[in-house]
Amino acid sequence: MAGTVSIAGQEPNLMMRLVSRPTALAGLVVLVVVSLAALLAPWLSTHAPGQLSIVNRLTPPGSAYLMGTDDLGRDIFSRVLYSGRTSLMVGFLVVGVASVIGIFLGLIAGFFRKADAPVSRLIDAMMAFPDILLAIALVAALGPSAANVVLALGIVYAPRLARVVRASTLVIRELPYVEAARALAVPTPVILVRHVLRNVTSPLLVQATFIFANAILAEAGLSFLGVGISPDIPTWGTMISTGRQFMSTAGWIMLFPGLAIVVTVLALQLLGDGLRDLLDPRLAKDI
Amino acid sequence: MIRAALNRLIGMLTVMLLVVTIVFVIVRVTPGDPAAVMLGPEATAQDIEDLRARLGLDGSLIEQFGSYVAGIAQGDLGQSIFLGQSVGTALWQRAEPTFFLTVFSLLIAMVIALPVGIASAYWRGSLFDQTMTTLAMLAASVPSFWLGLLLIQSFAVSFGWFPASGYGGPGTTLLERLHHLVLPAVTLGVVSSALIMRFTRASMLDVLNDDYVRTARSKGMTEWRVVLKHALKNALIPILTVIGLTAALLISGAIVTETVFGLPGVGNLIVSAVLRRDYPVIQGALLIVAGLYVLVNFLIDMLYLLVDPRVRY
Amino acid sequence: MHRFKIALVLGAAALSLTAPATAQEKGGVIKVATIGEPPTLDPMTSTADLVGIITQHMYETLYTFDANWAATPLLAAELPEVSGDGLVYTIPLRQGITFHDGSDMTAEDVVASLERWMKIATRGKQTAERIAGIEAADDHTVRITLKEPYAPLVSLLSLNNSAAIVLPSEIAGEDEIKEPVGTGPYKMKERKPDQYIDLVRFDEYKSRDGEPNGYGGGRMQYADGIVFTPVPDPNTRVEGAVAGQYDYIDSIPVESHQRIVDGRTEPVMLAPFGWPVFVMNTKEGVNSDLKVRKAIQAALAPQDMLMAAFGTEDFFKAEGAMYPDSYVWHTEAGTDAYKPGGDTEAAKALLAESSYDGSPLRILTSRQYEFHYTMAQVAAEYLKAAGFDVQLDVVEWATLTQRRTDPALWDIYITHSPFLPEPSLTGIMSDSSPGWWVSDNKHKVLAAFNSEADPAKRAELWADVQQAVYDEVPAYKVGNFNAVGAQSPKLKGMRPAPWPYFWNAWLEK
Repeated sequence: MAGTVSIAGQEPNLMMRLVSRPTALAGLVVLVVVSLAALLAPWLSTHAPGQLSIVNRLTPPGSAYLMGTDDLGRDIFSRVLYSGRTSLMVGFLVVGVASVIGIFLGLIAGFFRKADAPVSRLIDAMMAFPDILLAIALVAALGPSAANVVLALGIVYAPRLARVVRASTLVIRELPYVEAARALAVPTPVILVRHVLRNVTSPLLVQATFIFANAILAEAGLSFLGVGISPDIPTWGTMISTGRQFMSTAGWIMLFPGLAIVVTVLALQLLGDGLRDLLDPRLAKDI
Repeated sequence: MIRAALNRLIGMLTVMLLVVTIVFVIVRVTPGDPAAVMLGPEATAQDIEDLRARLGLDGSLIEQFGSYVAGIAQGDLGQSIFLGQSVGTALWQRAEPTFFLTVFSLLIAMVIALPVGIASAYWRGSLFDQTMTTLAMLAASVPSFWLGLLLIQSFAVSFGWFPASGYGGPGTTLLERLHHLVLPAVTLGVVSSALIMRFTRASMLDVLNDDYVRTARSKGMTEWRVVLKHALKNALIPILTVIGLTAALLISGAIVTETVFGLPGVGNLIVSAVLRRDYPVIQGALLIVAGLYVLVNFLIDMLYLLVDPRVRY
Repeated sequence: MHRFKIALVLGAAALSLTAPATAQEKGGVIKVATIGEPPTLDPMTSTADLVGIITQHMYETLYTFDANWAATPLLAAELPEVSGDGLVYTIPLRQGITFHDGSDMTAEDVVASLERWMKIATRGKQTAERIAGIEAADDHTVRITLKEPYAPLVSLLSLNNSAAIVLPSEIAGEDEIKEPVGTGPYKMKERKPDQYIDLVRFDEYKSRDGEPNGYGGGRMQYADGIVFTPVPDPNTRVEGAVAGQYDYIDSIPVESHQRIVDGRTEPVMLAPFGWPVFVMNTKEGVNSDLKVRKAIQAALAPQDMLMAAFGTEDFFKAEGAMYPDSYVWHTEAGTDAYKPGGDTEAAKALLAESSYDGSPLRILTSRQYEFHYTMAQVAAEYLKAAGFDVQLDVVEWATLTQRRTDPALWDIYITHSPFLPEPSLTGIMSDSSPGWWVSDNKHKVLAAFNSEADPAKRAELWADVQQAVYDEVPAYKVGNFNAVGAQSPKLKGMRPAPWPYFWNAWLEK
C-alpha cells in the first residue's frame, strides 16, 4: 500500500511529464477540444438546438445540416455540441458527488478503527450490485431527472473511491508526522484534511478520470433503457435513444452522438491511463 | 485460520443483510404503480385501489418488509404481479439465455484478449503493444448498446446472417437458439475483452521479469516455451481472478445487451420489471444478482485462505 | 331492435363483395409479433389493446362487432329483446357451447361472469350503477334489468377490452384467473412470459353459422395455432418484418413503411385507427380555468404535431370531428375551434383574458408510445409561442398511469384511443376519469344521448356532446392517425382491424 502515497512536490511538473507520453497527451488534447466545443456551442452551432423544422425532418447530412436533422427537423450538429455540455456536466458532477461521498466514507473507515468494519461492510454491500443495475434501480426510485441521474451514478461510483481513500488512509494514519500531529492534539478534521486528503489526491485523480468516463457511458445506457435523463434534455445518450427508431432510415441521428461518446470516453481513458502510470506506478502494474 | 474464516462468514452475512435492506428500501420508494399498469388506460382511481388491495400492496411498509424478509428466509421470493408465475420460476426460466450469453461473450473476450495481452506484454512498448493497448481502450469506450445496434444494422439487417432479435419461438432447437446469441455475445465479448487484455498484459509483465523466467531463459529454453509454459502458468491466477470478476461484470453488460437484442434473459426481465413496477421481480432479481456476487467473493476469499493461510485481509 | 339486424345484413352483404378469391387452407401456425408482453391475460381487468388482441382468441363475449361496427351476437343466440320501457334486456344464449375444460356453457356461467365483470372491470363497474339485476331466466336465457334506459349496454357487452367475457361459473367466482378457460376458437397451450404465448385450435369449438362478418359471423379456425411473440422495441419489429420472421407484425413506426414495402412482408394499414388526445386537468391548477383551456385549444397546431409524429399525410389527418366520416357519429359540430395550423394571436388574446399567472403548464407524457412524446415536443413550442411556460414531464407509462390520478400533479396528459364503436365509452365522458370533467351542460347532453335507444336520433344527439367538448375543452383531440402493421404475403383472410384477429386467417403453403 505504501506505493499509493505520492510524495508532495511531484505535481508541478505533472504536465511536463504528461507531455512525454504521446497517448496521454493525445487524450488530453482531444478532451480539451471536446470541452471547448461544448463550451463554445452557442458560437459554433449553426442552428438553435431546440429549433423545430418539421418540413426538414430526417434530412441527411449535407451542406444545410452538417450532420443531418432528426425526426423534428432539429440540427444534429448543433445538438451534439449542446448535448456535450450536459453529458460532460453529468460526468463532472458524478465525479463530484462520488468524491464527496467516497472521500467521506473512506476517511471515516480508514481513520477511525471502530467505524472501519460497519462502513466497509456497507461499501461491500453497495459494490455487490452491478453498476447499471444499481443505477437503474436508484433512478427509478428517485425519479428520472438529470439531478437524480447524477445523484444515482454518484452513489454507484462512490464505493470505489471510498476503497481507494480507505486504503491510503490506513497507511497514512501510521506515518510519523501524522502520529506527531495527533500527539500535538491537532484536531482530527485538520489532520484529515491537511495530511491525509492531500496525500490521496493522486490515486483519487486517477480514479476520478475513469469514473468520469464510466459516468458518460452509464448516462447514455440509462437514457437508452428509458430510465435516464428526461429525453427533452439533449444529452448524447438521449439523442441515441431517440435516433434508435430511425436507425435504418436515418442512421445519422444515432451515429454522431455515439461517435461523440466514443471519442470523449477514449480520450478520458487515455488520459487516465497516463496519469496512473505517472502518479501511481503500483496500480499501473495491476491493470 | 478458522477464526479468519468465521470472521469472513460473519462479514458476508452482514453484507447480505445490508443488501436485503438496500433492495427493499430502493424498491419501496420507487414511484409508480403496478396496479395502474395492469388495468390499462381507462382505469379509475377506485379500480386501482381495489387491485392494490388484491395484490397485497396496501399494507404498511413495516408489514411488507416483515413478510418480505420472512419470505426470503424460507427461500420464497414471492409472486410476480404480471407474469402469473413465481419470481423464482421467472428467474429460472430466463437463466438460459443469460447463462449462454455470459459464457459465450466470456469465451469471445478471452480468445481476443489472452493472445493479444501476452503478445503485448512480450513486446512491451513496441508499436504493436501501443496499438493494441489503445484498441483495447477503444473497445472499452464504445457504449455496448450502440455497438449492438450497429451490429444489428449490418449483420442482421443488411447481410441477413443472424436474427435481429429474440431467442426463437416454441419448439426451437438449442442450436437455433444459440444462433440468436451470436451478435449479442460478440457485442458483449468485444466490450469486455478490454479489461481482460489489459490485465493479462500487466500480469505477464510482472512474471516476465521474475527470476525463474530469467533462469529458464538462461537454461536455453526456446522463447516460446518460456513465455507460454513458465510465465503464463504463473500469471494465470491473477488472470483467472479478473476473468471471474469480469463474469460478474457481464451481468451488468447483459442488462443492456439483452434489451438491445430482445433476449428473454435475466437482464431483460429486470428492465421490464422496473418499467412495469413489478416489485417482487425487481426485489428478487436484485437480491439474487447481488447475493451471487457476495457469495462468489466469499468463496474466492475462502480459496485464498486455503491456498495461503497468511492472508489476513 | 330490428335496426341492429338490418345493420347485420348490410354488413354481411358488404363482406361478401370483398370475399377472398383464393381457396382457404387448413393448417400451419401463425406467428404474430406483438408490441410487448401483456400486463395480464384477464381481459376483464384491463383496457389495454394488447390484452384484448391476444385474449379475444381464447375468450368470447355475448356480443361482438360486425364489419360496420354494429353489435352482433357471439355467444348470445340473437340480439337482446328489449322491453318497451328500455329497462329489461332478455338475452337468448346459444346452446351446445363448450368451454376449453369440456364443460357446457349455461346461463349460470353467464350470470356469474357478468357479476364478475361488474365487480372487476372498469367498464363493468361503471355499468353496474345502472343495473338493477341479472338473472338466469332459464338454462339458456339471461335477463338484465336496468334502473334507467341505457343505450350503450350492448356495445359494452361487445368490447374485447375490460371485456364481459364468459367464464365457467367456478372460475368467475375467483378474483384471479388461474387457468385460462374460455369458449374461444383457440386455447392456451403454453405461456412463457416475455417469450411467447402459444395457442392451439380448440377442436370442440362451435362456430356460428354463416360467413365471417367483422368480429362476428362464422369463426373458421383455419390455422392449427397462433403464437404471439412480444417484441417491445418497434425497430426490432421492423427488422423482424423485413426479414420475414413473422406472419403478422403489429404496430410498425410509419417511418419504416418503405422498408416494409421493400422487405419480405407487406404493410397493412388501418385507416383511420384512432386519435391522440391531450387530456386537460379541469379540476386543479392552471387548466381549471376554461379560458386557459380555450387558449391552449387555439395555440396548438395539430397539422405540425401530426406531421412530426407520423411523417406524411398518408398516415394522419388533421381533423377536429371526434369521429371520421366513415362513422355514423361523424359531425362538424363545434369544430370551428379546431385550427390545423394553430392561431397564436388568438391564443395570446385568450390567455391575456384568463387567470393564467405564468406558472408552468405541466404536460405529462411517456415514451411508451413515441408519437405521444413527439407531439408533446411540438406542442410545447407552440404553447411557448402563445405565452405559456411549459414543463414536459416525461415519465414511464407506469408512473404516468399513477400520476394522472392525482389532480395536483399535472395539467395535461397525453394518451390516445381507437375510435370506439360507442362514443359514450370515451374516457372523458366519465366524471371520475382523470381530467374530472364535470359540468351541468355535460350531464345534460350526455344523459339525453345515453337514454335514447334509436340509433338515428342518437347520432343527432351526439353532435350536442361534441359541441360541449369543444365549448368546454376537457380534452384536445389532435387528429386521426392510421395504424400500420405488416403481414406476410402468405397470410390470407386478414381484415384490417384495430384489434387484429386470426381465426379467419390462413397460411398459403
